[in-house]
Amino acid sequence: MFDSLGQLGGAFLGFMTPHTLFNVIWATFLGIVIGALPGLTATMGVALLTTLTFTMPHNEAIMVLICIYVGAIYGGSRSAILLNIPGTPASAASTLDGYPLARQGLAGRAMGISTSGSWLGTLFGILCLALLTPVLSELALTFQSFEFFWISVFGVVVAGTLAGGDPLKGYIAGFLGLWIATIGQEPYYNYQRYAFGYTDLAGGIGLLPALVGAYGVAEVLQAMRGPVVKAVSSKLDSVVPRIEDVLKYWRTIFRSGAIGVWIGILPGLGEDAAAWSSYAAARRASKEKEKFGKGSIEGLMAAETGEAASVPGAIIPVLTLALPGSAPAAVLMAAMMIHGLNPGPNLMVESPQFFYQIIAMLVIADMSKLLFGFVLIRPLIKVLLVPRERLMPVVFVLCVVGSFAITSRVFDIYVMLVFGLIGFVMRELKFNMAPLILGLVLGDLLEKNLTRGLVLSDGSLLPFFTRPVCAVLSAMTILSVLWSIPAVNRSVRAAFTRRRP
Amino acid sequence: MADTPDLLPHEQPAPPRTDLWIAAVFFVFGAAAAWLAFLMPTYADQKGQIYTAPGLVPGFYGIVILLLSIWLAVRAVRQGALRPRGEATTAGQPAGTSDLRLALAAGLGLVFVVGLIGRVPFWLAAAMFVAMFTILFEWRAGEPWAPRARRIGEAVLLGLVTGAAVTLVFEKVFYVRLP
Repeated sequence: MFDSLGQLGGAFLGFMTPHTLFNVIWATFLGIVIGALPGLTATMGVALLTTLTFTMPHNEAIMVLICIYVGAIYGGSRSAILLNIPGTPASAASTLDGYPLARQGLAGRAMGISTSGSWLGTLFGILCLALLTPVLSELALTFQSFEFFWISVFGVVVAGTLAGGDPLKGYIAGFLGLWIATIGQEPYYNYQRYAFGYTDLAGGIGLLPALVGAYGVAEVLQAMRGPVVKAVSSKLDSVVPRIEDVLKYWRTIFRSGAIGVWIGILPGLGEDAAAWSSYAAARRASKEKEKFGKGSIEGLMAAETGEAASVPGAIIPVLTLALPGSAPAAVLMAAMMIHGLNPGPNLMVESPQFFYQIIAMLVIADMSKLLFGFVLIRPLIKVLLVPRERLMPVVFVLCVVGSFAITSRVFDIYVMLVFGLIGFVMRELKFNMAPLILGLVLGDLLEKNLTRGLVLSDGSLLPFFTRPVCAVLSAMTILSVLWSIPAVNRSVRAAFTRRRP
Repeated sequence: MADTPDLLPHEQPAPPRTDLWIAAVFFVFGAAAAWLAFLMPTYADQKGQIYTAPGLVPGFYGIVILLLSIWLAVRAVRQGALRPRGEATTAGQPAGTSDLRLALAAGLGLVFVVGLIGRVPFWLAAAMFVAMFTILFEWRAGEPWAPRARRIGEAVLLGLVTGAAVTLVFEKVFYVRLP
């Protein structure tokens, strides 16, 4: 206990240098700006900054990325409140009550609620991360290839089922991501799969250029195709959060925090699902249901707390199972790998201090976010008014630099372009991108564990189903697929409805 | 208000006929992926185990994609994808969207990556791209020359500032190599 506190204190002290604090300030601000600007998302921000900070020491680079992540998820509420356009998909639920509050001349109060909800949500999530990660890591250390295979499959399937939209298309996107991850040299014979004689393809598809394309270029194209958005003219009252708002809705804050962390832990779902689920739960439990959608403080608080709590929640499976809880967390995990860290159960064994550093990073980023909740509101509103015709080409230039930066291959810029096109087309065809990204990230893990498991069992599939954790995970995966079949879903619901008195 | 919040854009269903086309594309893709995986060597002559054969896993993914595409096709047909045109295509283009703007943005991006990068210094390529992008998207037919000249001047300045800032910040601060 005291040893843990000592290590945590050491982690905090280690970051208290002017250089690190300077990085925290600019990264959080940049994250808030990225989140606030419609068309730029947290995933894109983290992906771009991963490539641009990879020459930094790993502690500083991960700190910058966490600040971007935390800041961007918070920043999305700015445009949700002022423009009725969610800056990031995570802030979509905040538009329902944030914008009506702004229309009533309470934009400042709405931003204060957003700040307090988001700050408390992240703190709650950090507490859960600190408590759950060591326990889950301990459990995960007992896992073998069979379990890790099912964890990967479960991740892709659950992301397809629950990430929103059509589950069937989610599965297709997930398996497409897994297939893309097989392009290039395979691990046993160095055979070049699907390379067609091209040396660059034999090196495989870089995860980060693909992510920058799918989230950066695709968003530039979508923003340029879409209609122009205009800010609402609203009187800006005090943005300082009110204590009475927090005290009055403490139950909502705890409930939304718990939902946010849980959804964060589930693979691939992310902050938008957390915000919607928290909002829906708050509405069901509220005594002021009629205010929801018309400027409910409780509704806005629930959405903001839920989405913010899911950020640390999404990092929990990264640290314990190498399984990202959201798309930005997938990029963060890739960044950890690039920096030579080994996310997963061995992290707590090989570099336990990094776990405490992550807690310290999240707390510092959360505090920095709180600071920006009070100041720089007006300059931020001015940033929101930058026309997309001037912003998007700059973003595109950054995408090009970002995809080239890690391996200095022009081929990676082409990968970015192709994935930008794939991302744009798939979104237009109503595919969710989260399963595709999760498939790309988990492809290597899944293949290695499947083949290793088959070699260990001499080709027998039994251990994949009979080991206790495998049995649970395989059953959950199959149930998840069955649940997404409308006929099965309807029958189960009807059966439960009939049994009710 | 409904009990469930409004659907996000990606959660709105696509028209059944579109889904049928998507299914056809993924059917071909899955079949091609599985066939190419089947053609990969198994290394059995080197006493390699079948479980480590290079084509096993990608072939499995190809087959799964193929099966899922069949599921999607069957669902689309049951939802009326084969009914006469008009009934099955219900979703129109959202208001305010423009395919011309999309094509222009994509085309300019392609010119930047394929035509400019590597041929001129990166700062100049970035400056030309940003300036051209801004000028073309802010172009208004019939606008008097004075405001138009001001806009063009601003776009060129934005391009130059972007090129210089990106080069300085990434090369000197982050030590990142530029294309």
